[in-house]
Amino acid sequence: MQKSTSSGSILNNDSRSPPRLITSSNRTIYTAGRPPWYNAAGQFEQAFVIGLCGGSASGKTSLARKIIESLNVPWVTMLSMDAFYKVLSEEKHLLANQNEYNFDCPDAIDYDVAVSTLRKLKEGKQVEIPVYDFTTHTRLEETKTVYGANVIIFEGIVSFCNKELLELMDMKIFVDADSDIRLARRLRRDIYERGRDLEGILKQYHKSVKPSYEEYIAPSRKFADIVVPRGSENDVAIDLIVHHVNKQLAKVWREICWAELKCAHRGQPLPSSLYIVEKSPQVTGIHTKIRSKETNRDDFIFYSKRLMRLLFEYTLSLLPFDNITVQTPYGTPYVGKRFNGSICGVSILRAGETMEAALCSICKDVRVGKILIQTNEETDEPELHYLQLPKNIDRDYVILMDATLATGAAALMAIRVLLDHEVQEEKIFFVSMIAAESGTHTIAYAFPKVKIVTTAVDPELNDYFHILPGIGNFGDRFFGT
Amino acid sequence: MTDEITHQDDHDPFDPTKIPQLRMIEINNQVKELQTIIRDRETTRSDFVFCADRLIRLVVEEGLNQLPHETTDVTTPTDQVYHGLKFGNANCGVSIMRSGEAMERGLRDCCSSIRIGKILIRYNEDSEEPMVYYAKFPPDVSKRKVLLMYPLLNTGQTAIAAIRTLINHSVLEDNIIFLNLFATPESISAIVKQYPKITILSSEVDQICPNYFGQKYFGSE
Repeated sequence: MQKSTSSGSILNNDSRSPPRLITSSNRTIYTAGRPPWYNAAGQFEQAFVIGLCGGSASGKTSLARKIIESLNVPWVTMLSMDAFYKVLSEEKHLLANQNEYNFDCPDAIDYDVAVSTLRKLKEGKQVEIPVYDFTTHTRLEETKTVYGANVIIFEGIVSFCNKELLELMDMKIFVDADSDIRLARRLRRDIYERGRDLEGILKQYHKSVKPSYEEYIAPSRKFADIVVPRGSENDVAIDLIVHHVNKQLAKVWREICWAELKCAHRGQPLPSSLYIVEKSPQVTGIHTKIRSKETNRDDFIFYSKRLMRLLFEYTLSLLPFDNITVQTPYGTPYVGKRFNGSICGVSILRAGETMEAALCSICKDVRVGKILIQTNEETDEPELHYLQLPKNIDRDYVILMDATLATGAAALMAIRVLLDHEVQEEKIFFVSMIAAESGTHTIAYAFPKVKIVTTAVDPELNDYFHILPGIGNFGDRFFGT
Repeated sequence: MTDEITHQDDHDPFDPTKIPQLRMIEINNQVKELQTIIRDRETTRSDFVFCADRLIRLVVEEGLNQLPHETTDVTTPTDQVYHGLKFGNANCGVSIMRSGEAMERGLRDCCSSIRIGKILIRYNEDSEEPMVYYAKFPPDVSKRKVLLMYPLLNTGQTAIAAIRTLINHSVLEDNIIFLNLFATPESISAIVKQYPKITILSSEVDQICPNYFGQKYFGSE
């Protein structure tokens, strides 16, 4: 390990680990489901980016941890510039192994990747963070997936040395620590934690760490909005920072009121992005079976599956098709159609899962992802708990499945997740068995390009957000719970 | 090679709407793609069977729409009334062996306990007439609506022989709904000329009938 910068990260360095936990005295951040991070129009307000700069071993990460603990937001991502070191050539790699390569200057950083990553995160999108291997000075094949957050803390010793990065930061903090203290911390860390020898550390300190600090890092404090002496021990500064961030977030952040959404669109014509399976006698007959409370579970499942299959056949017909001419076995041409693209399914757990089998039975080898969204009974807010999406989903047409569409709260969140994974809005099909009219309006208002496909639209929602006349709890009836 | 042959263009276009006994399933792009894959000589057998089964299912679902039904009200779990429909039980399926058997599963998947009869028809090599070799129907077939299944109608002679057999078993002509995937205009004309009260449901009427269907579906030569 020849790296000279701070890696006193509070984050788990194992790239394969699930989202990390940050626990503080009174609450846990990250572990709970993610509440909505967008407004009623489904739009993401840009994340608040805090830039954190300061010399090596100045206490940036301890300060970041204090800020995260004190902020009243559940979704914070911390990004270290360590991930963005340049891949070294053979020659430089050798220098690095002899403590001759300067990791403390802006030249060591791949700013292009850093800027594009931070920009995406700020837009609320999922990003793949490179994992830097300090033994070979290359990037590992694997990457670390980080999801968009309400607040992003971006830290690094040369984080203020790039104009584009500075422009992405909403607040810039410079951590100031006395150089003696920094050297003392550095010695303790490198000797006790990393098993390096005093000679090497001091050589590196004089050759690169100290000159770089004086040349690049110290001057960059002029960009800071606030300079924090003594780092994480400075409670007054932390209070000021947290107060400011919370105030800024409150400005852009308005909670969605589902009860209002329920009646907001009453009396309007059904949205033009809504597609309903033709109401044939069989479709009505199947509805009669599955809606009746007298229907036993076997029949409920049997008829539901039949309807799902018709629903998906209809959904697939809404895809764009090309005209093609094929040769028949008789050698004659046949003018037909072919869908030129890829499809994947994403089910919203639990009820959406019931529809996966029907999709698979008409789409050979279709890849299926899952999203678990549950409603918090105290706040009536949907919360994102689990996410597993197929690889390269950004290229696909996505069939997003939920058995019923009531308020549209879960649908809105799931669609937002897909957009954050760079799925194109016009390539999303939200497919449900039964939809409440207000739910279709909620989706169409927020995401007009998403196609809403269903077999029946029911007029109302009751005070408990149940669809009327409805079908009851689809998941409970299907799974027998 | 007869490259000049194109579809329907050289003749009077066949207009299915002029034949009241003929109903077509709704042809959207997705259905057209299924037909394209079935027609394409490059299609593997596995894809062929998969797409044929999907097309069959759509024809069967539409066939079931032709059955009699009445309105009924049910109570939902939220104690609301839903105005729905109820279908009767006096139905059965009959497949014409052998390719008609490819359609049995589609019917069974929609109606799990429906009775299904069979008819085996082969061409007599001397007279070149279709001959009924075997027929087995549910006992009260004469009182039922019959979904008669055969994917291909080329000349229509096999179908006519099967319909004749059913009528000989006292099935009413207007109780027969013929479920089909691919038909030629000639076959449709021949059937409705002989049995004007029958209903025929198809997915495509074209001069060229994919006569290889049964062989490719079952993988036998």
